Amino acid sequence: MSQETTKVGIISCSGEEIPEGTISRLAVRRVLELLRPGNTVTICLPLFLAGNQGEQEFARTHPTITVDGCDKMCAKFGTEKYSGPVSAALVVSEILKGNCPGCRSTRDRTDADKEAVWTVSERVAAEVDAILSHGENCCSSGGSDDDGSCACMQPLPGMKIEVNGQPVTIAGLALIFDHLTESGLAPDDSSGDKLLETVRIYHSIEPNEEQGYRSALISAYKTYRRNS
Amino acid sequence: MEQKDTVLVVPCSGIGKVHGLISRESAYEITDNVAKGQADTLCLALLVKGDEEALAKVRNSRCVTIDGCAKYCAKKNIEIAGGEVAESFMVNDALKNHRGEQPGTATKLTETGWTVVREIACSLANGIEGGEK
Repeated sequence: MSQETTKVGIISCSGEEIPEGTISRLAVRRVLELLRPGNTVTICLPLFLAGNQGEQEFARTHPTITVDGCDKMCAKFGTEKYSGPVSAALVVSEILKGNCPGCRSTRDRTDADKEAVWTVSERVAAEVDAILSHGENCCSSGGSDDDGSCACMQPLPGMKIEVNGQPVTIAGLALIFDHLTESGLAPDDSSGDKLLETVRIYHSIEPNEEQGYRSALISAYKTYRRNS
Repeated sequence: MEQKDTVLVVPCSGIGKVHGLISRESAYEITDNVAKGQADTLCLALLVKGDEEALAKVRNSRCVTIDGCAKYCAKKNIEIAGGEVAESFMVNDALKNHRGEQPGTATKLTETGWTVVREIACSLANGIEGGEK
């Protein structure tokens, strides 16, 4: 295992009532899957807002971008309430300057909807780049003077494990292990389901990868507990 | 007993897996097609944030929740807000009828995924139409 620079967290509002919520969700997915797959992670906003300390810890220690559909900015205000200032806060309706297509369901998407998702996702990717390069936009929306800390805090180290012979870096894995240790999870083969369930909240794991991740996580958790 | 004429269908919209997209699309299938005019949806994040209007809407409606994982974010947050969960549905229960098939991804559904959406919507719509008001 080794320590490595972590990723930027992106939290989408996914607002169900408005088309902009669908666009925010799809744009974030596009950044995660296509535009910046190696540099970004996400978490479900309702889980984050209503989650336990371990779940909220993740955003607190990551540079985070929120993507909201409307000016109620649930993702931004919710994240800041529990985790401190975000590094960037984007609003779909502002990015699209009021020219938002009208589809909520992905089944009905038109070319205009697809174009809107592209526009927003490219803006999100640009913010990711700015954060990773410590560019000037990094602190532009959310820097706090209260505690003297910068909104774009130093990235949380990730931990590298080997899944089916391939190195994989999981951001915040040490924190996840700490949280599970406090929860009483034993460092033995019975820990696989819980490790998998917790890690996949923050790190995408496809069904056909589960067995490989399970073995790798059990092994890493045992090693971590032995050395801590 | 207070009369609740409105039905709110609240999905978790989980962003990490296909289950979240299925929950979201199932809600739209109900509100926009199979039970159009009889049900509405609500931004879950707005409710969790504590928006007064959203809280009032939930407390004055019968709520149907659709969750993608065992965290039950939609169901739990409706209950925390003081709402009545008339029916709670877990996407995995519908996927059990399609073992071995690929429903899609967190971004896009396959034909199987849309079939599951339709099945969930029809199942829940029966309860909405036949529900006690």
